[in-house]
Amino acid sequence: MDFLIEQFGNWKFYLIGAYPKGPLGGLSINIAIALLCMIISFFIGAIFGMGRLSCRRYISYPCIIYIEFVRATPALLLVFWFFLFIPSVLGTNISLFWSSVIALSIYSTAYQAEIVRGGILAVPRGQMEAALSSGMTRFQAARTVILPQAFRMMLPSFVSFFISLFKETSVIYIIGVIDLTQAGVIISQRQPDRMFASYLCMAIGFFVVCFSMSRVAKTLEKKVGILDLSSYRPTVCRTDLSLYPRGRGKSAA
Amino acid sequence: MIKFTNVNKWFGDHQVLKDITLEISRGEVVVICGPSGAGKSTLIRTINKLEPIDQGEIIVDGFNLMDPKTDLTALRAEIGMVFQHFNLYPHRTALKNIMLAPQKVRGLSKKKATERSLELLKKVGLAHKSDAYPIQLSGGEQQRVAIARSLAMEPRIMLFDEPTSALDPELINEVLDVMTSLAREGMTMIVITHEMGFARSVANRIIFMDNGEILEIGGTLDMFTKPKHQRTREFMSKVLHIPVANNNHEDKPEEGG
Repeated sequence: MDFLIEQFGNWKFYLIGAYPKGPLGGLSINIAIALLCMIISFFIGAIFGMGRLSCRRYISYPCIIYIEFVRATPALLLVFWFFLFIPSVLGTNISLFWSSVIALSIYSTAYQAEIVRGGILAVPRGQMEAALSSGMTRFQAARTVILPQAFRMMLPSFVSFFISLFKETSVIYIIGVIDLTQAGVIISQRQPDRMFASYLCMAIGFFVVCFSMSRVAKTLEKKVGILDLSSYRPTVCRTDLSLYPRGRGKSAA
Repeated sequence: MIKFTNVNKWFGDHQVLKDITLEISRGEVVVICGPSGAGKSTLIRTINKLEPIDQGEIIVDGFNLMDPKTDLTALRAEIGMVFQHFNLYPHRTALKNIMLAPQKVRGLSKKKATERSLELLKKVGLAHKSDAYPIQLSGGEQQRVAIARSLAMEPRIMLFDEPTSALDPELINEVLDVMTSLAREGMTMIVITHEMGFARSVANRIIFMDNGEILEIGGTLDMFTKPKHQRTREFMSKVLHIPVANNNHEDKPEEGG
């Protein structure tokens, strides 16, 4: 255990990098980038997701192309490419931090768009029909009936995507940001014989954040009230549809 | 009030409505029956243009449905629709389900919408369930809330698409009672149902459909006792559980009813 305690002596470097003497780094930069990307891509992703569902081709096709292209590209490549692309095209330098935020936002927008699309498609058709037949416009129906249900259903996917995005942020080492993994690598190189200990520390760092996030998500889901899908179905079918109807075995005749 | 003239509709190669010509007048209660796949649902869904038609003309309450300039939302606001699977909004309470459209479409204030919605809940006998979510209601209660939701728009026509076929047998009557009282108030109603007891007590006419065609239209009694078409006779004998007056069947013993 000594080697771990020894490693924890470097906790500051693991958590915030060389800050305040140098740039912010370590675990906090992973969290900051993941949070920023999640927020930015949530809004843009919602637009792309709904755009993909549009019946107008000049709206849906560009969305499909964007989503399919980005999803077929590794995040690592996007980060690296933006780092080179922005200075050469815009002629200005951009901080490593913002360069990674932009690249990873573009990456996660494509995934969030697909989550939004899936959520909207999961709302039964009858909901739109009921709203339309009561005289609402498509826009009113989407805003008051479809999206509130869709977002409740999307919540678990958002959480799992956020967790995977958080882990994905470690790719920013490629352009020289010192995030948690990179901080660990630097420390491990100081003491090559204790390499495994610093890698263990990185794992602990990622685990603590991811695990607590999924715990928070669980309570959030309960609070917002994930829709019980059986409420869409008529009561009679409820027991017929479940694999193991209640009371099975007891009343077997 | 509703007038179909030579209406045709296809789903791909399959013709679901064949040359439908039909007129329904104000205050009439019409029951549509027929085997599944006959086009009953499609027929009533064309009335509020949930399904567009390919040929012919439909005029509903002065709105020409084939005219692209027709204001569909204004038309749909005048037509209530009740679905087989209720289609209540699961994220809203019973009261809020009813309030939504009057607030959004008619622009009622929250206070007025609440008042009217509570009144309607009372009318369908569910005043005590106003704060319940759809999941907390039984099937029959859900369908009654759905009826109240349609009535909140003060429609001139009500369409019912198999309103009781997803319900437990014991819950059917509470829904039919609400529908019966609605019919007695003079609402124009088009009902797809196989509840012949309901048809007998409130319907003015019964339409029998098969294979996208209207095979027979007749007064309620005529359709029960002396349907003209062989296909209608077979169908009626099945839904009524007794052989309807039919020479071919006279020598057979009556089946349990």
